[in-house]
Amino acid sequence: MVTEAVTMTDPAGLKAIGAALAVGLTGLASAYAERDIGAAAIGAMAENEGLFGKGLILTVIPETIVIFGLVVAILML
Amino acid sequence: MLRPKQMTRAVIVGHKDILENTVDALHNGNLFQIEDFVEEDDSYLKIGKPFDNGSELSKQLVKIRSIASLLGVKDNTAEKQSTKAVCTQLDNCLDSLDAELDAHVEKKSMLENELKDVLSTKRDLSPFINIDLDLDLYRGYESLDVFTGHVKEDITPSLSKITSSFELFYDSHSGVIVLFVAREKAAEVTEMLPSFTFKELKVPQLSGVPSRLIADIEGKEAELLGKIDAIEQDIDALKQQYGDFILASNELLSIEVQKSDAPLRIATTESSFLIDGWLPTERYGELEQIVNKATSSRAFIYTQEISKSDVPKVPIEYNNPKVVSPLQEIMNLYGRPTYKEIDPSALIFITFPLLYGMILGDMGYALILATLSIVIKKVVSSDAIKSLMNILIYCQISAFLFGILYGEFLGFPLAGYHGTPGLIPGFETIDLIATPFAGEVIGYPLHRTHLIMTFIVATVFVGLIHINIGYLVGFINEKRKHGIFAAIFEKGSWFVVQLGIFLTVLGYLGMLPIILGAVIFIIGVAMLLKGEGIKGPIELPSILSNSLSYTRIIAVGLSSISIASTVNFIAFGMIWQPGSQIGAMTLFAIVVFIFGHSLNTILSIIAPGLHALRLQYVEFFGKFYEGGGRKYDPFGYIRKYTEEK
Repeated sequence: MVTEAVTMTDPAGLKAIGAALAVGLTGLASAYAERDIGAAAIGAMAENEGLFGKGLILTVIPETIVIFGLVVAILML
Repeated sequence: MLRPKQMTRAVIVGHKDILENTVDALHNGNLFQIEDFVEEDDSYLKIGKPFDNGSELSKQLVKIRSIASLLGVKDNTAEKQSTKAVCTQLDNCLDSLDAELDAHVEKKSMLENELKDVLSTKRDLSPFINIDLDLDLYRGYESLDVFTGHVKEDITPSLSKITSSFELFYDSHSGVIVLFVAREKAAEVTEMLPSFTFKELKVPQLSGVPSRLIADIEGKEAELLGKIDAIEQDIDALKQQYGDFILASNELLSIEVQKSDAPLRIATTESSFLIDGWLPTERYGELEQIVNKATSSRAFIYTQEISKSDVPKVPIEYNNPKVVSPLQEIMNLYGRPTYKEIDPSALIFITFPLLYGMILGDMGYALILATLSIVIKKVVSSDAIKSLMNILIYCQISAFLFGILYGEFLGFPLAGYHGTPGLIPGFETIDLIATPFAGEVIGYPLHRTHLIMTFIVATVFVGLIHINIGYLVGFINEKRKHGIFAAIFEKGSWFVVQLGIFLTVLGYLGMLPIILGAVIFIIGVAMLLKGEGIKGPIELPSILSNSLSYTRIIAVGLSSISIASTVNFIAFGMIWQPGSQIGAMTLFAIVVFIFGHSLNTILSIIAPGLHALRLQYVEFFGKFYEGGGRKYDPFGYIRKYTEEK
């Protein structure tokens, strides 16, 4: 008779994977969004240094995505 | 505070006789920002002409600046010299200094060119260094062809197959060949050579054996380098001797040129002039006094009302107490406030360090960073960096206070928590109030790692307060600019919307009829629609996203704690346990501890700093701030190296 080994998945492990995905994917998303903005902001600053403040703001706007990811991860664990 | 300094637009009119005296007095006063005059075609007012000495002064200034750049004179803290002494010295020695320096520089560049030639010959010769053959023997044959170049391996075997009448010199070390072959076989050899990746070398047009030639060249190179060095020393001596004089005369001439060019910014007629400009209202009396003194009261000064179209042009001078002034750097990064706007420097003086402290909240890092900033402030002389360090110090004070509240030191909890011991033996967390969130209990100290849900909710509330202060300031700005009704519809509507949402939530919980909240919400949206147009309702979700954005206060804080406690665990948990035997591992643990915390210290400036800054710039300023004011930059000069005696 053949018996199939029954394996249990530990829910804690899945939670950890979920948390990792939440932070990792949102981090990638933020980076992807900030890439173009950052490059453009540096370009603008090369023309006019006074744009530093506005450039910084526009660059960090998408970074809220990863903060939300981090919060979600913290809530999951 | 909260408003830029009040400015006055003043006009000075007088006869051209007294123009020079007036300009002199204004320049010394350093308080009046001249508004550049723009000439119009049909106007009877013309742009003035520079004073007579202008072109001569400009020439001298150009000369001094070129000398300064050739000598590499840098700003320093020299003793102030009297202008008279500098003037006499300027007349006496500017030309001779210029000539002397020119001679040195010319000689140096000649020697450098020579050196370049020598080095290039050396480079051309160096492949042939191991082939002991006079260079004259490389050329001038009638029946022989000469191949010189690099190959990848010895070509003798292949060559022997083509012909036996050849003479080959091969330097196996560098792969250089010199091949003499009968002319009739040259074509075949040319065909064969590419298979050895032959790269031709040009033979320098010199005579003599390469190795000896190179030795000669090296001797010459050393001699040239010695000469260049001597000239550099002479130039350095000039720099030592004249450095302070150059700085002083540069300053003096810059001032004189500014003065002599001033008429180019001033309106004039045949025999009179008219200077238009700005100054802080509080200094108007001073302006009258200095101009009257310089012109024996012959100039006429009057104030002009600031019209609506002038408002964007008004230069902005901050009006903040000294403690707040470092925060002006943060304002400058974003853009100065405009004249009618509230200057939020004093607000971010409180909110920026507050949010920074809430995020970092660690006594250890606060102490390290405070010490660092104080040291840097003492060492560095740049004003911008000093202000930055002052801001950092404010932030560290706040971080230290929050560190006491959170009971954290370099990632270690100070107090024990339900059985796990803290850094201070016997100091136990005192439980105070149970919260409705995930059974968490508020106590002292506040363990952020055990109060995550509570902190997330609390930070959103901090955000709501911060944002609403923003709306309130926006309300005041709007009222000042466009009147009370515009303010109520544009900014007041946001309060109504929030009230509506709050009452709806209460209704949802069954405390109120839900319709009440919904009606107020709809009224708020309608007001917003009237105030801001369609853009208003589109921005409605920003209330949610903006206030949720403040959860970064706990999120970034937790990540900092995690890094710190991981470092602590690796050092004093995995590598070496306190209490066990002291040995090499103890040292290793300490190294890891120091390295890890240095890294986290740097992150503790960047992460909380940038996030706190972003909360100001995006979430807070977005509600009210326009910015873009012009800097108040009075006509004058702050002397560093000279003084009038």
